[in-house]
Amino acid sequence: METPNKQALVDLLLQLADDDFLYSYRGSEWLGLAPHIEEDVASSSIAQDSMGHAAMYYQLLEELGLGSADMLAHTRLSHERKNTVLVERVNGPGYYMETPEYDWAYAVARNYCYTLAKKIRIDALKKSSHAPLASVAVKINMELYYHLMHWQTWFTQLYSSTETARDKMDAALALVMADFGDVFSYGKNGAAIEEARLIEGENILLDRWYAAITPVLVGLGVTLPEIGHERNGRDGEHTPDLNDALATLGEVYLLDTTAVW
Amino acid sequence: MQPYTPLFEREALTEEQKLERFIARIENGDKIEADDWMPEEYRLTLIKLISMHGISEIMGALPEKEWVPKAPSLRRKLGIMAKVQDEMGHGQLLLRVVEDLLTPYGKTRGDLMQDLFSGDLKFHNVFHMPTKSWADAGLIGWLVDGAAIITQTNMLGASYGPYARALQRICAEEVFHAQHGESIIMALAEGTPDQKAMIQESLDRWWESLLMFFGPASKETTGTSKQDITIKYKIRTKTNEELRQSFFTKYIPRVLSLGLTIPDPTLRFDEEQQLWIYAQPDWDEFKKIIRGEGPRSKERLALRRTSYENNAWVREALAETMA
Amino acid sequence: MNDTFYQEFEVFSKRTPNAAFSHQFSLLAPNKEMALIMAQENFMRREPVVDIWVVKRSDIRGLTPDEKQMLQRLDNKEYRTTKGYGYLKKKWRHYEQQMLDEKEIMSWSGEGEK
Repeated sequence: METPNKQALVDLLLQLADDDFLYSYRGSEWLGLAPHIEEDVASSSIAQDSMGHAAMYYQLLEELGLGSADMLAHTRLSHERKNTVLVERVNGPGYYMETPEYDWAYAVARNYCYTLAKKIRIDALKKSSHAPLASVAVKINMELYYHLMHWQTWFTQLYSSTETARDKMDAALALVMADFGDVFSYGKNGAAIEEARLIEGENILLDRWYAAITPVLVGLGVTLPEIGHERNGRDGEHTPDLNDALATLGEVYLLDTTAVW
Repeated sequence: MQPYTPLFEREALTEEQKLERFIARIENGDKIEADDWMPEEYRLTLIKLISMHGISEIMGALPEKEWVPKAPSLRRKLGIMAKVQDEMGHGQLLLRVVEDLLTPYGKTRGDLMQDLFSGDLKFHNVFHMPTKSWADAGLIGWLVDGAAIITQTNMLGASYGPYARALQRICAEEVFHAQHGESIIMALAEGTPDQKAMIQESLDRWWESLLMFFGPASKETTGTSKQDITIKYKIRTKTNEELRQSFFTKYIPRVLSLGLTIPDPTLRFDEEQQLWIYAQPDWDEFKKIIRGEGPRSKERLALRRTSYENNAWVREALAETMA
Repeated sequence: MNDTFYQEFEVFSKRTPNAAFSHQFSLLAPNKEMALIMAQENFMRREPVVDIWVVKRSDIRGLTPDEKQMLQRLDNKEYRTTKGYGYLKKKWRHYEQQMLDEKEIMSWSGEGEK
């Protein structure tokens, strides 16, 4: 592959890998703390699937000669990360082993909006000019039906329940949308990514996302809050939440990066 | 539509006759089901045993989940996530079994949670302990789950059908847990000197807790023990001490084969008695731990309570969606 | 109490297209949609499944311990089974023919004309 295309491919793969890596991590922090035991078990499967997806993308990068998948996942610093800010945000205040005040409404709103975006990206990636990526997309797509069904059920049920739940969901959705600006962005290298036909254009995907979520929101009588664009994670612009996350995720690996664990 | 009403009631049995039939059934190897008549003592023993077992699984997810994000590779992250998920899953299975036993008392899962918070419902000693290193994640899978496999397989033939069926599922998954733990331990044992030191340090800290896991040999040690009743009702077959001995027999050679040292210089196998001789753990400490005065008891309970209370609105919301 | 949403759902699944549904376990959920999205991951995370049913327990009419008496039968119904017709084997032998027994008949599936 020619150099400019390779850089574009690497950028896109890092975005996809880092997204699912952080998304899975935030999901896994709920382990043992979900509002219902059966849900704890079910949503853990989604976190596992997502880590599996991240591993597949990191593997593609490893095959391109970027270093081992584990090294890519565990050693890159915050400014080198290309995930959307949406997936790095904490689940709520408080350290996960002490008194975490996690917000289930935020989890549901974020997971639903993110999963829907992921589904739209995966559908577009199935036609990627990079065949190995297209074939990974076909595989990942198999697991997304359940993820979307799961979070859409929670999203609609909480919105259709008590007034408290509805208020919490509104507040959560506003937080999610404030960070949603970079979800479909490809960052500074976006033009090269689109030119190489690795994936369809940012705006095309965003429009598809709107088209998909609108009937759900209309059915619930919910108005979508405005999308914020404060930071672009694709360009390495992140919050302190990411630093803390990376320190935890790499804590043991970084004790000895050459050891076999 | 009215349910069928029998015109001829079965000849009323006295409590004594019912008990006789019940004992005959379990002696026969018959399985008791949730709706069947059972003596109060049997029901209460099951509730106590299975609610402690179930809540221990739920509490057991907490020390291990600390290592979920910290797991040192993508593969390890996946493995430990699946393992902690199983612990919650086992909690689900066991709590369902208890909840059905609690029906006559009008109690639900919410009441079990309240019992946990008030200290009435205890959880296993091992889950009151801190986890300090990645080796702990491996050691818990290998030896704590190894100990759990020994106590749980001992009850696979339990006279109470729903418990036996839940254990069947649980034990099948414990095999994966043990191998997950062994794989972590094996990598450390074959690794750098620091990695090896990490397991030894972990074993030194966990040894006493592992001995305690099986409970006291007799009630003289701690004042109470349910083992006689559970054996009488064919819920289990072996005593605490028998289980501890089979743990030694199965695991001590394996621990030693990896070049680890067991932190008990008096430990030896006595050929004459065919018994392992070992230093007793501090059973007063055991009682304190179970009472909720262990090194991490308060924090773990606080974590469970915070999440339960934080999510109260979700349960209320779900009640609205009932259909 | 805020735990009023707890209702029992029984979960059934089918392992292969040819298999019958079998009971797995029960879970607590407020409604069947929620029960459905939790069923597979709680009880069938490691095995193939081709279909799932969730059934509210209160919608199941089972037998009370007393009603289990209706299951009792006398052991005198050979006429319903091949056991009652075992003498045919000898008869067919007389006519120099093999008896078409259950094993033989069940083996015909998919083997085409013989």
